[in-house]
Amino acid sequence: MPETPRKSAGTATRLMLAGAAVLVLLGIGAFWLAARRTAAPPAADEIVVTVNDATCEPATLEVPAGRRTFRIHNASDRPLEWEILDGVMVVAERENIAPGLNATLSQRLAPGTYEITCGLLSNPRGTLTVVATAESEARQAAPETREFIGPLSEYRVYLGRRSGQVLTATAALSERIAAGDVEGAKAAWTAARVPWREIAPVSARWSDLTNGMDPQADYLAKREEDPGFTGFHRIEYGLWSQGTTEGLQPAADKLLADAATLKERLGALDLAPADLAGNAAAFAQRVADQATGSQTPYSHTELAEFSADLDGIAKSALLVDPLVAAASPATSEALHKALGNARSVLDGFMVEGAWPSYDTIDTAGREKIAQAFAAVAGAAGAYNAAIGLE
Amino acid sequence: MRLCKRLFTLTAAAGAFALSQGTARAADATLDLVAPIADYKIFVSEEVDALVSDTTTFVEAIKSGDVEQAKALFAPTRMHYEAVEPIAELFSDLDVSIDSRADDYEQAEADPAFPGFHRVEYGLWEKNSTEGLGPVADKLLADVTELQGRIESLTFPPEVVVGGAGVLMEEVAATKISGEEDRYSHTDLWDIRGNVDGSQKIVELVEPLVNDPAFLEQVNGNFATVDTILAKYEEGDGYVTYDHLTESDRVTLSAAVNTLAEDLSTLRGKLGLD
Repeated sequence: MPETPRKSAGTATRLMLAGAAVLVLLGIGAFWLAARRTAAPPAADEIVVTVNDATCEPATLEVPAGRRTFRIHNASDRPLEWEILDGVMVVAERENIAPGLNATLSQRLAPGTYEITCGLLSNPRGTLTVVATAESEARQAAPETREFIGPLSEYRVYLGRRSGQVLTATAALSERIAAGDVEGAKAAWTAARVPWREIAPVSARWSDLTNGMDPQADYLAKREEDPGFTGFHRIEYGLWSQGTTEGLQPAADKLLADAATLKERLGALDLAPADLAGNAAAFAQRVADQATGSQTPYSHTELAEFSADLDGIAKSALLVDPLVAAASPATSEALHKALGNARSVLDGFMVEGAWPSYDTIDTAGREKIAQAFAAVAGAAGAYNAAIGLE
Repeated sequence: MRLCKRLFTLTAAAGAFALSQGTARAADATLDLVAPIADYKIFVSEEVDALVSDTTTFVEAIKSGDVEQAKALFAPTRMHYEAVEPIAELFSDLDVSIDSRADDYEQAEADPAFPGFHRVEYGLWEKNSTEGLGPVADKLLADVTELQGRIESLTFPPEVVVGGAGVLMEEVAATKISGEEDRYSHTDLWDIRGNVDGSQKIVELVEPLVNDPAFLEQVNGNFATVDTILAKYEEGDGYVTYDHLTESDRVTLSAAVNTLAEDLSTLRGKLGLD
């Protein structure tokens, strides 16, 4: 009996040692693999470009799409800056490569044709052709999350700036109302409506504020006499229908306070990739549905509003356009065409560079506007599916 | 058992090393970067607005023939360009016409195509004159105004922004420490301040997303070293000329800048943007 535990203890030790040895080997293997992975990749993986005093060698390159590493050798007698260019835009660059030395540059490259710089600014440029691969095509059809960081941050900046403009303009509106200046207040009101409509594609995200800032009398029990009739249209009613600033100060002050809240909220609004084209399409449809009616029933400034709506829709949807254009050129072209058409329909109503009153636009004209926005909604509505967001 | 333990320790160390190598490539970038990139665009826009308004004054001084005033405005004006170089340099045509150096031209300073800030710098310091600089100055103002418009409509690529922190320090290391950038005016300390401000801004914005306290500590420590050295050479609203820098400060500055360039070159990878 005393033997057994000792034997098993010995076996256990041997097993542990054996296990440890295996682990050590595995560890050394992992170490070796890790070390190997971090070492300079074999030259075969690198694309070698030599730049001499006059040109790049080779001056014509063709590589598969994806992350590529270039080894640039400066064989000229001046410090070298090597760039990959897409038109005037720098895709990647390596600066200050000393004469006689090498530098490497790694960059993810999308399919397309690029230029490469070759030393002196007067030297002819070379050509880099990046060929699509199965992987790059899959990526185009369903771009990774990182591809939406730029578009979403650009939209965040846009919302922040436009809501800042709403705030500045409503402050001016409140100030003009306090001064009893009807014409000045009308101008301030019209100016405030432009950024307000430009950010309308995301208005569903602040419906609580919208209810106080933008309610229509038509939807209130006592219409214009309703205590809930406040915000932009209350002021519009006072200025245009009643021709006075009297009694508007409380509404103007409340609007200004809400605009401050809105700006704060938009500065921190998180949107999803699918929102950019999705919100634009949904809002374009809403504009189309409302175009035959009247949204600014006292000032009749609908055409100015539509123009701002169109700008806001274009800004939002076109942020993903580079991705859509790569994945499905026809889908991209269709939206550009619809946006261009809507713009010329609207501009066609301009009289001497100004928007005429909407009550001068007949039913046929309004239908035309509705159709133009419906076409934008349809074209923008196809965007998300083209880039794997549906 | 001791052997056993040591082996296990070794194994664990090797395993941990392998693991750290495996995770060195961070998870793919997330939408957490949206807010920092948006804030960075606002920073760049403000700098470029300042660049345009300062260039306007600078150009007026040149065109009125006021050499001393133009010299005084040169460095503070171009500092705004230096701060936003990662974005400004995306536009190759404008970068050439605003900030190329004589080395990029066949006939160097004598080349009629030599434009921008450094052409003006050459005239003001080497010739001590504004003669012939009027058209160059007008073009400079037109170019920075064009840059402002292009940046306004640019969607900032996140890998350029994040990579920009290291690119700026690499630029300091490669061309500013040697004093070759502002070779006629020796106002390199201003440029370094602009580059460092631009780099620090990027780090400050993405810092909350970098899960590597030791890395951040080293980076911020080196930024502090750079700040301390630059502070010693402040004069008025700016800096003394580069030749005032002592050899020992130059060595310390160079070491901090080189380490920053190297460390910050890994920032893209840490945020999943390689």
